[in-house]
Amino acid sequence: MARITRRQLMNLLGALGVAASLAGLAFGLPAIDRSLSSERAVRTDEPYLIGAGVTVVPPAGAALDVTGTRPGDGEGTVLFRLGPVRYAIVVRPFDGDLDAAAERLRQRIVDTTGYQVTGVQLEVSTAGGLAGLQGGYTAPGRGGRYAVFVADGHTIEVTISGNDLDLGRSLPQIEASTRTLRRAGEPQ
Amino acid sequence: MTTSVVRPARRSRLSALVRVPAFWVVLTLLVAGTVRMAQMTGHFLTAYPKATATAVLLFALLAVPFWWFVAELDFIEPEPAELLVLAFAWGGLVATTVSIPGGVALDNLVAKLGSPTLAADWGAALAGPTVEEIAKTLGVVAIVLIARAQVNSVLDGVVYGAMVGLGFQIAEDIVFAVGAVALAGQGDQVQPVIATFLLRGFLAGVWSHTLFGALAGAGIGYLVVSRESGRPHRVAVAVLAVIGAWASHVLWNSPLLIDGLGNGALALLGVLLIKGLPPLLLILLLVRRVHDREADYYVERLATLADPRLITPGELAVLGSGSRRAAARRLARAEAGRAASTAVRRLQRAQARLAVELSRADPEAAASREAAVREQRAVLLRLGHPEAVAGPVSWRHRASTVATTAVAIAVLWVALSALGGA
Repeated sequence: MARITRRQLMNLLGALGVAASLAGLAFGLPAIDRSLSSERAVRTDEPYLIGAGVTVVPPAGAALDVTGTRPGDGEGTVLFRLGPVRYAIVVRPFDGDLDAAAERLRQRIVDTTGYQVTGVQLEVSTAGGLAGLQGGYTAPGRGGRYAVFVADGHTIEVTISGNDLDLGRSLPQIEASTRTLRRAGEPQ
Repeated sequence: MTTSVVRPARRSRLSALVRVPAFWVVLTLLVAGTVRMAQMTGHFLTAYPKATATAVLLFALLAVPFWWFVAELDFIEPEPAELLVLAFAWGGLVATTVSIPGGVALDNLVAKLGSPTLAADWGAALAGPTVEEIAKTLGVVAIVLIARAQVNSVLDGVVYGAMVGLGFQIAEDIVFAVGAVALAGQGDQVQPVIATFLLRGFLAGVWSHTLFGALAGAGIGYLVVSRESGRPHRVAVAVLAVIGAWASHVLWNSPLLIDGLGNGALALLGVLLIKGLPPLLLILLLVRRVHDREADYYVERLATLADPRLITPGELAVLGSGSRRAAARRLARAEAGRAASTAVRRLQRAQARLAVELSRADPEAAASREAAVREQRAVLLRLGHPEAVAGPVSWRHRASTVATTAVAIAVLWVALSALGGA
């Protein structure tokens, strides 16, 4: 059996060092990320700025997930968690009407493998009078609700997901929160 | 001229790679990256077959001129095609596979240790460059580990680094294009792919990963080649080059001037130039310098022959510059037709091979290359164009250059306008 030379050994160690560095990036960083909690307490008695001047009052008992929250001047996202239930709101520039915005959101939902939109779309409105559309969807092992609003060249997309039991418990608080969506300058 | 510009290495067969332990480690990483990217592409094709196919086709076409430019950068001592493919594959399969989860995790860490606002503003500028520049630079290190003899000048490091960056850029562009299709929520449409192609391919393509990779590659090349400098000095230069690539990438991704200089195509162009031009010029100047130093080294080897049948003083003045070589081919075509232009190109290629063999001090191989040069010289003599020298720049060439520049500016303007700049 051929003996490995010192040169080959150093070469192998160098290559393993490269592989280890890659593993650090691909697995080490995500491991560190997972080891730190992403949830932060958030006040549920005052509006939270999502982005582009849109605010929402978080539902009672919600925590802010900082990994899904990116506020901005022109657009923004926020992710709240109520136990295992995800409550996400995305604000983006949009130049279409409400029907087009709803169709776009429904299309994105069904483009995800295993996701199906269920039932009919219903009208919904916020406390400030912002009109929107809402509906439901199913995914493997979980259900979901969506709502979409259009205001001042922006679309406000709300998605809520979790298993049916948890959703049933959290939906009243979340729907109450959704009704507090407001654009800057909108009447109280 | 110091000999440290180029470290001549004896010819090595690529089949010998199988005896290099690092080759098998790199091969394993490439297989893992291929599987991961194939899975991702499979998902894309299932959800958006037309858009995905269009994205792959458009960005593959975009890669062709970049590949040609990078490969031609080292005309005199070209890198083996197998290693160029490996570098490209590392960028497109390994670096991207690693950067996707790593970048997301680092962006999350910015939000967790800082704030969501910090992550929204600076997450893309900090997370992307940090993970991606490391993953790409490791590709050049991998090439050094498996074929050190093929990295014998700083320019070689530039070429391999640029090729890793190109592979990364193309794969990332395809992922972004299909992501834009998903975000648009209009099903399997190609318009978001076209918009991404214009934005990332044309507007952001010039000063993107290929450029950053070239800078980091130059550092690794210097680390390997410049043995007369102490190890701490070489390591410091390599680290500085990688930091330079990282900083250029950070500047490009940063939220600085995100609100632009106003509305309109000119304002958008202004932002692109302010953020992209300084690194572009800096890196192009560096590449030009290392290119010229390597070319001078090899031309000096040929000058020692003092044999006008192998290379004339006029040809010595031409061989080291891409534009002068092209001018020599144009002159041959104008004076003796297409066959002469082809013969000049073959003569230049043969002279370059001879220069490399002279640097390796391999008399047998040099004799074989001399025979190839004489053969092409005989062809040129038969065609009545004995010397491959550059002629004066013709008005047709000037007009062609002006027209090409005008078309490029027009395309840029249309792209900027189509993207909402005007």
